[in-house]
Amino acid sequence: MWFTGKHSTFPRYFSQYFWPTFAGPAQAEGHVRMTAHTRRSRFASIATVMVASLALVGCSSGSTTAEGEPDTSLTVGLLATPGNLDYTTTAGAAIPQALLYNVYEGLVKLNNDGTIIPLLAKSWTTSDDGLVYDFLLHDGVTFSDGSPFTAESVKFSLERVKDNWTANGPAYLDPIASIEAVSDTEARITLSKPSNSWLFNMSGPVGTMFTESALADLATAPVGTGPYTVSSFKTGDSLVLAANAEYWGEVPYMTDVTLRYFTDATAQTNALLSGDINLISGISQFQLVDQFKSNTDFQVLEGASTGEVTLSMNNASDAFSDVRVRQAVMYAVDRQAVMDTANSGYGLLIGSMVPPTDPWYDESLADLYPYDPDRATELLAEAGVSDLTVAFKIPNLPYAVAGAQVVKDQLAKVGITADVTALEFPAVWLDDVFSSHDYDMSLIMHSEPRDVNAFAAPTYYAGYDSPSVMAKFAEADAADATTYIELMKEATTTMAEEAAADWLYLQPAISLADADLLGVPKNTPSLALDLSTIAR
Amino acid sequence: MVFVVLRRLGVFATTVVVASVVTFLMLSILPGNAARIALGVQATEADVAAQATAMGLDRPAIVRYLDWFGHVLIGDFGTSTVSRQAIGPEITDSLGITVILVLTSVVLALLFAIPFGILTAVRQRKLDGAILSGISQIGVAVPGFLAGMLLVTVFAVTLRWLPAGGWVDPGENFGEFTLHLILPAIALGSVQGAVLSRYVRSSVLEVMREDFIRTARAKGLGAGRALFRHGLRNAAVPVMTVLGLQIATLLVGAVVIERVFSIPGLGSLLLDKVALRDLPAVQGIVLVLVVFVLALNFLVDVAFTLIDPRLRSAA
Repeated sequence: MWFTGKHSTFPRYFSQYFWPTFAGPAQAEGHVRMTAHTRRSRFASIATVMVASLALVGCSSGSTTAEGEPDTSLTVGLLATPGNLDYTTTAGAAIPQALLYNVYEGLVKLNNDGTIIPLLAKSWTTSDDGLVYDFLLHDGVTFSDGSPFTAESVKFSLERVKDNWTANGPAYLDPIASIEAVSDTEARITLSKPSNSWLFNMSGPVGTMFTESALADLATAPVGTGPYTVSSFKTGDSLVLAANAEYWGEVPYMTDVTLRYFTDATAQTNALLSGDINLISGISQFQLVDQFKSNTDFQVLEGASTGEVTLSMNNASDAFSDVRVRQAVMYAVDRQAVMDTANSGYGLLIGSMVPPTDPWYDESLADLYPYDPDRATELLAEAGVSDLTVAFKIPNLPYAVAGAQVVKDQLAKVGITADVTALEFPAVWLDDVFSSHDYDMSLIMHSEPRDVNAFAAPTYYAGYDSPSVMAKFAEADAADATTYIELMKEATTTMAEEAAADWLYLQPAISLADADLLGVPKNTPSLALDLSTIAR
Repeated sequence: MVFVVLRRLGVFATTVVVASVVTFLMLSILPGNAARIALGVQATEADVAAQATAMGLDRPAIVRYLDWFGHVLIGDFGTSTVSRQAIGPEITDSLGITVILVLTSVVLALLFAIPFGILTAVRQRKLDGAILSGISQIGVAVPGFLAGMLLVTVFAVTLRWLPAGGWVDPGENFGEFTLHLILPAIALGSVQGAVLSRYVRSSVLEVMREDFIRTARAKGLGAGRALFRHGLRNAAVPVMTVLGLQIATLLVGAVVIERVFSIPGLGSLLLDKVALRDLPAVQGIVLVLVVFVLALNFLVDVAFTLIDPRLRSAA
């Protein structure tokens, strides 16, 4: 048995299911809340268990139906554990997944359908030149330590990002020129240049509101304005949230929420089947899904994620600097076959780094490079390439290991030899591939929302260097809303045409839940797992 | 006797120091950058370099080693680069869980192995003895993690009698604690129980051929009484040796079982810390394991002399 198959994810970008690598220590008080479910006859059963355990064979099956009073406690099974609770200095999707919108809030929030909606800001207006944003804040909001939330908190929190944040993209707030507390409930933010993306980014971690009075121990004791507070946290084991009785908005239905962290997807689904947990958000191994579809005790929710599973090619390497060679790979790889093998067929063929939830999604790009090995061979001949051998360095994650094998076989058919090396993820993969660019080809999921701009940066590990695309992204960000979408579409299409990478498929967001749960978030447009809508 | 104890302590201390150096060296050549892992892919190389400095990773290896080991000697394991908590309590907390798990499985293994081993020895030439002996062979062959997965499938997923995993602190809810302990303890103890029963069996068989048993029989004791009064104590010595070795094996086996059952013990902690390159924590955990195993061996040696007076003079 090997443990490398953790469903790690790399931070924001590469997460597969958020990353386990932040799985931290386990602590002795390790505690797991019991759900009301299914423990009825356990004590009575112990003796039987002890005897029966040595004679496993022949046990008849038959599951007891989960039973219990409709209650307001919820246990969620997740795969990546936070190493600490401070996302201002620690990367990884696990921390915002647990805390954003639940414990921490910003001025705006990303709705489950991907639209930006008000949160701590009641409303806002934008000046005609797109530079000045006036936010009207909710009155009477307090942080969970009792300190008031005012426009001064906005100024303090956002100004703090530049100097104090080291993770989760402090550069997202670079467009901000100044922040002014006009009154307690009015905050004015002035940008140095118009930016279409900054408000979207404000819905993420960098837009979080903090109180100056509770910065001492962000790693273990976060204090926010959200509907929940952290009651206990044991790294690698569980994070327990309790409803914030003083919450300024609607108090959520679930008053006690335990996030339980697993390192193994099978253990996670077993826990759901045995009634230990009520919900799995973002299952990682899709072959485990079907058993729930036929079981009426559970519901299977399929939504959209922002995780593009990407066959990256080092555009700066000798092997792939010629666009024809990259295009040959596009024709040589049967993306449907990769998705069938690595994901049991779950997913969506996208053909670019844009999920359908983004306004500049173009579904026709999925057909830009149909599977055509003959065309691939022609392109390789045109490029004067024969006997190409590439270093195919993948993270040791299940989907990557499975997908890489299919890709390797398909490339072999057009005469490309891929030497597959599975690197420990995240540590070694980050070093070799991400930081040192010492690779020709890789296969990894980029899970961060709206990450195509970052991918196009010449210094990024993909080595794609197109000044015109970068210029178009910059132009798009400063343009009016309509032109923004047009230009984004143009830039992302160019990237697909130039085969900056082979975006194999979009990972689906599949949640598995007890049949009686309502309001489970279906999509994962942001990093947050919004618990406030869940009820029974 | 005093000399013997001093010599043992000397060996003990030397082993710990050597282990600390080896651990440190091996971890320092491990690829992967803790600073990059902490900051993620959005951070620039300059950010990562600054973070590495902040974590003290850019100091020379010898300085880092002396700083770390010097603090360990005064009981300070340092602060985790990831959780930012003191490493000492993190280790003792999860060690406590692992020790409970291992000891419980040892008790279960003994409860199974001793009667089973004696029975199969006494019934050696009978059909039932042969069948039971065969069953214990199967037990030896089934790996603990497989037993764990089977147990979960049957008792947690299908029957829903017991939790599929997780851990509850005994102080918090003793009933739940017990329920959560059953399956992992059985999974961990089953193989050891089977192995141990083989040793008990062969040890008992050997003892039954000894002269002193024949003498006891000659005095008029029945076969059973002779075995119980004179045989078992002698049969226990080789079994104790194996048990001592097994407890060390169990600590390692617990790593696997903790993963299968999502138990936040020392094994889980170690794997998580390695993945995150939280090197001070990894060094601390390995050192604790080394000390633990050495202490265990020492205790086994002491136990020998209690069981078998003949070994006292030899010590």
